[in-house]
This record gives sequence, structure tokens and C-alpha cells, in this order.
Amino acid sequence: MITIALSKGRLAEKALDLLEAAGYDVSAGREESRKLILEDEKTGLRFIMAKPADVPTYVEYGAADIGVVGKDTLLEEGRSLYEVIDLGFGACRMCVCGPASLKGKLDQIPNKRVASKYPNITRAYFEGTKKESVEIIKLNGSVELAPLIGLAEVIVDIVESGRTLKENGLDVLETVADISARVVVNRVSMKMKEAEIVPMLDALRKQVAIKNAQKAAEGK
Amino acid sequence: MGNYRFHTPDGVIDILPQEATVKRRIEADIRELFSSHGYSEVETPGIEYYDVYASEDFVATEDMFKLTDKDGRIISMRYDGTVPVARLAATLLKDEQPPLRLSYIEDMYRFKLSGGGKLREFSQAGVELLGLDNAEADAEVIALGIQSVLASGITDLQISIGQVDFFRGLVEEWGITSEEASELSTAIDQKDIVRIEQTAERIGLSDEAKEILDMISNRFGTYDVLDAFEEKVKNDTSRAALKNLREILDALKDYELLQYVSIDLGMLRSLDYYTGMIFKGFTYEIGFPILGGGRYNNVISTFGRKLEAVGFSVGINLILTALRRQDKLPEFVEVDAIVGYKDGEGMRQAAFATAKALRETGLKVIVDTQHLSEEELDAYAEARGIDQVVYVEEEDEVEEENT
Repeated sequence: MITIALSKGRLAEKALDLLEAAGYDVSAGREESRKLILEDEKTGLRFIMAKPADVPTYVEYGAADIGVVGKDTLLEEGRSLYEVIDLGFGACRMCVCGPASLKGKLDQIPNKRVASKYPNITRAYFEGTKKESVEIIKLNGSVELAPLIGLAEVIVDIVESGRTLKENGLDVLETVADISARVVVNRVSMKMKEAEIVPMLDALRKQVAIKNAQKAAEGK
Repeated sequence: MGNYRFHTPDGVIDILPQEATVKRRIEADIRELFSSHGYSEVETPGIEYYDVYASEDFVATEDMFKLTDKDGRIISMRYDGTVPVARLAATLLKDEQPPLRLSYIEDMYRFKLSGGGKLREFSQAGVELLGLDNAEADAEVIALGIQSVLASGITDLQISIGQVDFFRGLVEEWGITSEEASELSTAIDQKDIVRIEQTAERIGLSDEAKEILDMISNRFGTYDVLDAFEEKVKNDTSRAALKNLREILDALKDYELLQYVSIDLGMLRSLDYYTGMIFKGFTYEIGFPILGGGRYNNVISTFGRKLEAVGFSVGINLILTALRRQDKLPEFVEVDAIVGYKDGEGMRQAAFATAKALRETGLKVIVDTQHLSEEELDAYAEARGIDQVVYVEEEDEVEEENT
């Protein structure tokens, strides 16, 4: 039995599509119900529907063998996992954002206050990459409010289209990381269930390659 | 105040009857295994000076349980078995002729929930083989690792063996900086294919190098893996690492333990600590490695004695958890017999003598302290699942029955 932890919502749907295209029977995972564990004895697959931020935890502890989760969550949670495939979907960027007037002047503000839903990513970026101490203010949503109302100078958040930012008079100042959905595997499962997991990963990689090729062709 | 008095702090647990018995049995079996291979057990203190762990960055500051002594010096609780043994080998044991075979079974303390199984206090058993630098020594330690897990009753065991010199040789051959090497090794260790490819691209590695990186992440096996890499890799350091692994596999074949091992050259943890072979052990139903070890030739020299070393440690609590989840926890009878006696001259003395005689045959025996009658004694034994009841009525006549 292989247990797969999915991030409830759109990411789960796309992950199931991809598994199906790779030749797996995922009907159990699509069952319309409030059940959190969807198991299919016949196919040997069990899906758990979890909050995105919890997917890395399930996989690290081995409660799930495999997980599909956004890179943002992986960066924030910092779990000890194998991160094996970039699925390509759910693509966006983790950025430092603020008033457009701060463009190129970010380094000139001393003792910055940075608001974010992602305090660990924020700390790693400012302290690790930029070698700068900042005050991190953890928020749980509508982070764009913070610079508008004077709670923080800048924010670190996910940017997809950038529309919310524009409408609030904010702009991307720096890019922290590119984000997309990833397949993660528990370090022990990779060894103990190699015979089941490795072929699944190979099949998924093949599907991702096909998808990417299609995308490239459409782009031309 | 006082709201916590019914609880144990985060990361520590009570071990209850039965499980504690099993734990002690496992420890006894492993102790016997080590001893039968000529390893001498040592005890190091439960607390060490902080510098023992911190001065060479063996352990991150945040990971240690810290106290201060009366002079304000920082103390760390025992974080692992290896570093104290290294200190010992270079100080009190400095005149002992190598090779030295040392072992320990101790409780370890880690501040962050970083210990396997996320405990802050857990027992580890381990050996250190000091003063030898060859594949036989490496294989001896791996074999002891495998046997200590098997001795505990776990049958499904996978050992992955890597060699950090293999990657070091590639780094030299490709001429990349230490920052680039560190980023690459982290990505490889996490099997983060995306980051491996991006980093390789940025560094400007050749197609050949990229192919080797791909193989590191995807090739597992035994001799076949070594054959495949030997065809591709040119530099001496990496080739020596492959040769070392081949000799280790040969030795493990002679130990008749080859079926448990596979080669994984993508294990690249603690690169500044390990200097050669590294290995980890896995079993079902537990998401963390249950044992780990490797060669660390430069650690003891930081304490002033040049001494090569290889060792491993196995997590006893993790084994216990795995046994429980695999339904393999052996059941031990905690009490075999109860001896009661009729009130009267010399009866208690006779009961004690009877109990003593039974204990000498290896049974676990309780002597009744509640003056139970024969019927009450039978009922008590029945309720507690005690097999044998002995009731002393006459000084030299002992009535024995099985319930």
C-alpha cells in the first residue's frame, strides 16, 4: 500500500489528473465525500487529503510515503524529505513586495519590518541570502495591508498575476524563489518501498516531460 | 505554578512495564553482541563541556541541551556517543595501542526535536572502532549494525551505504568552489532533482558531469552500481571511494549479510564530519532511519590524537517503536509464580525458602504480603495471569499447583 498525501483543493485535482495520465487508477482519490482518507485495496493506493502546510509533516514522519505540495510550503516547513519531481503546475513566485517607490532602494532602509505568512522563508532570505537582520511580523492573510497601513515597510508573499498587488499600489521588489508543485518522498519509504515508488516516479516524470513539451509547442 | 506536575515535558516519555522490559532485553542482547566481538563498554558523563561539541561545529548550538556550572561555564547534556568517546580516546586512553574497540549504550539529549522519532531523550547503542583505516573495519561496523537490529527481532532491514569521498573527488575533478559543492551536495542529499539541474547549469558542468549527477540520484543496487560508476568516473579520489565500497561489499558477502545492503552514493550528510563510508538503516512502519554511522577520520585529531575511526549508533527507542508497529513486540511474563503461606510458626520462613528455590530455577516469584488464604491466592493469581501458585501449609510439605 502506497499512501499519498495531497494538498486539498486545486493542487490535489491536478496531481490526480497526472497520476491518472501516468496509468494509475485514482478513482478512490476522486470520491466525492468528506472522508479524509480515501483507500482502494485493489490498486494499493491510499490518498489522504491534508492542509497544504501539513503535507510535508505527514511525509517526513512516514505517515504518508509520497506527497504533492507547493514549493512555498516546503521552503517554509523545512522538513527532511526527498524532493524528487517538479510537476510544473501551480507556478508562481515568492517575492519581496512593497510600494513601487522602494524599487531598487530596498537595501537603503535600515531595521526593516517585513510582514509575511512565511516567517521562515522571510528569515532565510533576509538573514541567509541578504545577510541582513530584519523584524519579521507574522500575518495570516491579506498581507498586502501591512505596508499600506504602516505595519511593515515590505512584505514577502506569493505573486501569481500581480493583480492584487497593483490594485493596492504595490509592486514586486525582489524575487525570493520560483514556486511550483513538487513531489516529495519519505526517506525511508524510498528505500523500503522502492519497487513500487520508483516506477511511479518514473511514470510521473514521463507525464511531466510530455506536458512540458506540449506547453513549449503551444508557446511557439 | 504546579499545572505541569502531571505531565512530562515535550520530547520525553515514560516507558511502561512490558515495553521497558523489552527495551532492557534489547539493550542486553546488543551489549552481549558488542562484547562478543571484543568491544569494551565505556561510560561517559551525562554532561560535557559545551566546547566538546561546539568548538569544531560538530553540533549546532541550538541542538544542545545547555546548563551552566557554578563557575558560569556552559555545559551540554550528552548529545551523542561518538564525540565523548573521541575525547576519551585522545585523553585518558591516549596510551592505549590501536586498534581500540569501544562501545556504549547511553541516553542522549537533543534540544531540537531532531533525534529520530522526534524525541529529546532517547537511548542509543553504538560502537567506535579506532585506529584502523580499511574496508574490513568499515564492514565490521556495518555488520555489527545489521546484527544489532536483527538481534532485536526486526527482520525487514535495508542498509544504504554511501561514500563521501566519491563526491569529494568529483568536486576536485570539476573544479567547483566549496559554496557550489555545498549547494550541490545538499540538493543531492534531498534528491532535489530540480535544484541539482539548476545548480549544475549555473556552475556550467559538462554533459558528462550532469550524467553522473543523474546516476547518483537514480542508481541503487550493489556491484552493478559500482560497475556503472567505474566506467564513468576518471579521478583517483572517486575511484578509490568506489574501490573501498567494493571491498566493503566483498567483506559483507563473507559475513553473509549482503542481502541487507545497497549502495546509495547520494547520501551526502554531514560532509565536514564524515571522511569515507557512511551508512543508514531503515525498516517498515517508521519514517526515520533507525541506525546510522560512518568513517570520521578527522574527529579525534581535533582532540590532539591522530586516530582514524569508524562507528555507528542504533536508536533503541526507534527499534521499540518499529517492533510495536510491526506487531513484533515480544511479550514477557513479568511474574511466573506467587508463594503464599498459612499463618503459623515457621511458615513465612518456609515460604521465603520456597520462593528462593524457585527463583534459583529462573522463575520470577512474588511472596504474598497480604496474608491471603489459599482460595484468595488462587483468585489473585487467576486475575493477574500468574501461572503457578504455591501455598505453604506445613513446614516441610509444600503444596504446589498450576492454575
